[in-house]
Amino acid sequence: MARGELSRTLWSAAEGLRSAPRSQCTRTMRLPYRSLQPAARFISTTPSRSAELTSETPEAQLEPFTAAPEIEFEADEGGDKDSGGGNNQKSNNQLLRTLRVVPASRSYFSAKPTFTDDYLHVSALLRSVATLPTILTTEAPRVAWKTIDQYRIMTNEPVKTQRFHRMMHIVKRLNLVHPSLMPEHIKTAMRRFMKDSQPGDLVPAPQLVDDWGRARGVGRRKTSSAVVWLVEGEGEALVNGKSLSQFFGRLHHRESAVWALKATHRLDKYNMFGLVQGGGSTGQAEALTLAVAKALLVHEPALKPALRRAGCVTRDPRKVERKKTGHVKARKMPTWVKR
Amino acid sequence: MIIRSVARAGRRALVQTSSQPWRRFLATQTDTIETTAENSFKQFHSLEAQFNATAPPQEAVPSFDPAAASAPASAHVTDSVAEQYHRFKQSQALIGKLGSYITPHYQPHTLLSNPPSPADVTLELLLASEAHQGHATSLWNPANARYIHGIRQGVHIISLEATAAHLRRAAKVVQEVSRRGGLVLFVGTRDGQDRAVARASELAKGYHLFERWIPGSITNGQQILSKCRTKVVNGKDEEIPGFEEQLMERPVLRPDLVVCMNPLENYVLLHECALNNIPTIGVIDTNADPTWVTYPIPANDDSLRCIQVIAGVLGRAGEAGQKQRLELAETGRVTYRPADNLVLPEALQEKTVAAAEPGAEMDLDESLEDADELADKLDMANNREMSNHAARAIKKID
Repeated sequence: MARGELSRTLWSAAEGLRSAPRSQCTRTMRLPYRSLQPAARFISTTPSRSAELTSETPEAQLEPFTAAPEIEFEADEGGDKDSGGGNNQKSNNQLLRTLRVVPASRSYFSAKPTFTDDYLHVSALLRSVATLPTILTTEAPRVAWKTIDQYRIMTNEPVKTQRFHRMMHIVKRLNLVHPSLMPEHIKTAMRRFMKDSQPGDLVPAPQLVDDWGRARGVGRRKTSSAVVWLVEGEGEALVNGKSLSQFFGRLHHRESAVWALKATHRLDKYNMFGLVQGGGSTGQAEALTLAVAKALLVHEPALKPALRRAGCVTRDPRKVERKKTGHVKARKMPTWVKR
Repeated sequence: MIIRSVARAGRRALVQTSSQPWRRFLATQTDTIETTAENSFKQFHSLEAQFNATAPPQEAVPSFDPAAASAPASAHVTDSVAEQYHRFKQSQALIGKLGSYITPHYQPHTLLSNPPSPADVTLELLLASEAHQGHATSLWNPANARYIHGIRQGVHIISLEATAAHLRRAAKVVQEVSRRGGLVLFVGTRDGQDRAVARASELAKGYHLFERWIPGSITNGQQILSKCRTKVVNGKDEEIPGFEEQLMERPVLRPDLVVCMNPLENYVLLHECALNNIPTIGVIDTNADPTWVTYPIPANDDSLRCIQVIAGVLGRAGEAGQKQRLELAETGRVTYRPADNLVLPEALQEKTVAAAEPGAEMDLDESLEDADELADKLDMANNREMSNHAARAIKKID
């Protein structure tokens, strides 16, 4: 029974192959027969196991699925003719009859339409400027690009990391176009992928000497912070209402508080009034150094290189490191005892 | 003075200057030397003028970027790069076309920038794009036997006649579907197929997919595509605003025709299309199963050039169909079935109702009847049994 089924299907397949329209093909005619032969021999020789064969044969014959049938295009269409504007209800209805719902983007079925459109857009832009001269990566304008998380939030789409970086690779290549030849529309297109705030954006407001001739400077060190007002004068110095020698016991601290003035030989040209709080005396003295230097820079901006050489411009960011659990101090571990 | 200058110049001056002025000097008055000098000066000026006239206008070039020119730091360097580039472009425009005549040859970009239309499909084009190359004979799918011309060096050769015929038939299908406002989805998820697919969708005003098909986008579309925006358009493809709230509640869209460039990798997509009765067009290589798609195009799916040709042809067909549809829309005819259950928003309705006339009800009823009839007809057409359709469809299209 099973054998009969199998051979019948094979014969029908062979019939189908033979009847297929192949005018010039002579060589392939041999092929189906060749593939037929061993199958036939197999059927004739092997002992049949009916259960297996019956279960297998229909499976092999069945397709995993059947594609949709071909479309039959009707001769008449579902369209209606516009009979000109009659009354308004009718025109309302006619407007409704012309409406259809379509995706807003060509990338609708990718489920990430905004991202896919962006990708296509930047690759088209790159193709348009691919032949322009470029600059080195090190010389390119510094840009803070959006991170993938920011981009995902912007588009509200589950963008894959790899795809995003592939797109950003193109955008970064756009950034390498020589600045003097960079077209304006590419600059605006790149803005979409930049962070809102860029590295050079935050410029501190320039400090000015006020109406009474004071320049203000703020400095910090360790946990102390100091505010200093600097006025042109004879070299008087007051810190929290006391003179330097009253306020600082150590000579070194007195010197470092006015080090900015001393290093530039301005000690007898400015009067200084400082308020300092927090921390110990070293911290307070060095917070004053920074504050005085900043105030001095307001009076004489040209002193900046000299002050930098004197080490008065940079804020020292070191602070006491916190103690951690399991440690004796910040990093010290308890002595290890064997058992 | 003259003698002194001559003496200073030495023998070289005597040799270099032409004999004409000297002869004249010897023959006539002494002051002629001044006039000759003047003459030569004039001559030099005229030469200069001539040179200026023939030389390319250099003054017109450099003022390309006033901002960069005014920039103080490193302005010199940037200026020179831009200038060099513009000069290069200028000379390229002037002399780029000169030289030997180059015979027509394959330029890869033309298949994307100016893809062939269905009328341009020739066996030469298909052969040149390697549409005939199949796979090794051991990899074949016997269902493709009817598309195979023969075997060469152990590789199946696809019959280009079959390819051309099936490609033209597919082009007709795409054209007709896009004429009726269907959503045609072009899919090519292999590396390098993205541009061909995007270009085809751009031409046909269809939709593209060149990354992975997310399984369930049709069968489970509400979960996957519900965030993607849709819009309401009229017959001329102009967006009509004011339907946003209704669109939120509508089911997601599904394509009306799927064109798949690599069916082997898109089994899930084709399966979903089959489950939802969406017809598919696919490029069937000798190792692919032609029953996965409704309209197979036997061709080499491993050649990007072949894929570009096929996608371009189908895109052009879609373009033609869209053009027909828009032309009909200009005359006030709609070729598609309008969206169901849409209600005109208040903003649009008030405008027209304000000047309502008596006798509107009659016409309204009439038009509603018309609409119902129309809808019934379309439903019948859509749901009709498909048993005898296949044979008739082939006849009609071919």
